[in-house]
Amino acid sequence: MVVMNNSTKRLAREPAANRTPFQRRRSVTGVLFLVPTMLLVGVFIVWPLIDVIILSFYDWNGVSTTMSFVGLENFRSLTDLPGFWEMASGTVVYAAGVTALTVVISFFVALGLDKKGKGRINRSFLRAMWFLPCLLSMMVVGILWRIMYNYNTGVINNLLAAAGAKPVNWLETYGVTRWAIIVASVWAQLGMCVVIFLAGLQSIPTELYEAAKIDGASGLQRFTNITFTMMAPSITINVLTTSITAFKMYELPLTVSNGLPGYHTRLLTQKIHDLGFKAIDLGRGSALSVVLIVVITVISIVQLTYLRRREDIY
Amino acid sequence: MKKRRFVRIVLGEFGLVLLTLLILLPVYYFVIGSFKARMDIVKYPLQITWPMVSSVGFKNFAYAFDRIKMFSALTNTAMITGSALVIVVVCGSLAGFVIARIDRRMFRLFYTFLIGLMVIPFIGCLIPLVVQSTKLGTYNTLLGCILIQAAWNLPFAVFLFTGFMRGLPKELEEAGYIDGCSMISVYLRIFLPLLAPITATCCIRAGVGMWNDYLVSSSLLNGVQTPTLMVGVSMFFGARRTEYGYAFAGIIMASLPMIVMYVFLQKYFIKGLVAGAVKG
Repeated sequence: MVVMNNSTKRLAREPAANRTPFQRRRSVTGVLFLVPTMLLVGVFIVWPLIDVIILSFYDWNGVSTTMSFVGLENFRSLTDLPGFWEMASGTVVYAAGVTALTVVISFFVALGLDKKGKGRINRSFLRAMWFLPCLLSMMVVGILWRIMYNYNTGVINNLLAAAGAKPVNWLETYGVTRWAIIVASVWAQLGMCVVIFLAGLQSIPTELYEAAKIDGASGLQRFTNITFTMMAPSITINVLTTSITAFKMYELPLTVSNGLPGYHTRLLTQKIHDLGFKAIDLGRGSALSVVLIVVITVISIVQLTYLRRREDIY
Repeated sequence: MKKRRFVRIVLGEFGLVLLTLLILLPVYYFVIGSFKARMDIVKYPLQITWPMVSSVGFKNFAYAFDRIKMFSALTNTAMITGSALVIVVVCGSLAGFVIARIDRRMFRLFYTFLIGLMVIPFIGCLIPLVVQSTKLGTYNTLLGCILIQAAWNLPFAVFLFTGFMRGLPKELEEAGYIDGCSMISVYLRIFLPLLAPITATCCIRAGVGMWNDYLVSSSLLNGVQTPTLMVGVSMFFGARRTEYGYAFAGIIMASLPMIVMYVFLQKYFIKGLVAGAVKG
């Protein structure tokens, strides 16, 4: 943040030759403190990460003792998978839709929830209510929305009928089902973004608003120049985490629509699971995993550099 | 002027409450549904009357309790979440302490590396992880699940703890060193007591994620009869004619422990977020 207290500044860095025995001893102890983290992360994240890259160059069914090296064939043949492009574009549309809706809605909700004063409803209660869906498993949210979307017995069509509208086949219509799972995902993720935005709003010093008022800034000017600018770090965090979560999402779309109709809502994560555990085509499954990992990494880096630059404007 | 302000507040509050109710509608629907029979859920989705409830009572809950095999599922889930959470908090706070408090290039690089790992999707590493755990002998064991959950939640925990400890004044530890404390006792006696809010944040984020996990336990506890709560709950999905009441009751029982934890830790949760994550 802009206002940095003196005591929070980093200790000045000393060149290696000037380090005192005290500092050297501290570094050694520091490395010891990091050993458990390094071990866990090394064995259970980095090792499989390297493995998945190696596996993606081989043809292997997971059981046989021989693996044949096929070079880039696994990657090339990904496009031969039925519905590959539909799944790939579907994943991107899903992630983009969820991120945009979640971040925009939660921003305005947080603004509303941040207001305090006489005649307003207890904020910590409202805040807890907004966070409630975030405590549910994606599996649970999926089952719940699948029941609500049901054509004959679901509550949504029931309400539509009561309002005199025609029932919609939410789970098996091209163009509709995709939005059905986006809505369910937004519902599940809104609360987290609201909470992070609220935390960001609380860290804006009130002096800024007072000073702006004295200088004669209008309400809109105060919003764009203070609130919106000072919220840049929380916007960065929310856009990043929401889009990463959306790209990683597996259980929710699986339980809501199971990929139907056709490949319309089958995300790449589901295809990875199918290739690895149903088709037992570990090579191609790994190749698809590598593609997904690269896509997420690139998109995150692009977002981060763009959003950080926006943060630096002020 | 004063009147206009009053009207604006009332309108704003009204809109906010309306939105909140809309968000809570699905929750309301499944909570009342868990006390109703299937026919009533379908016919009167949002109403609840005493005859509906009295004819069903807690039957839905009793059935779901047996179907999920609640006792073993709950024990397994609690074991995995509890142990992994302890590992995450201990390792995460130690690592955060070092990264935030010792200014060396190698620690900063390690931090960047850990943050980078947060973008890796778990499902992308699932295939080699299953192969690896058969090699390590942890396939179908709780231990394997615990270690994997701990490892995959660590980068975020380190991020939280580092951000929080960077905000603590350095005079604190300097005083400790002057009084002759070693690094471990500075960590234990000075920093650890201050970490309550960020530990609460970490417990809610990581704990909820572990408790609600389906992917890890369903793929790595394949041979276990009743692996975890979420795998149990997933049995309500897929059957052609789902008894909605049972599913709702199962969902409520499986989610309740996390809701209780959130209620207790809520006070610290926001504090930890303000102090830690947002400043990153």
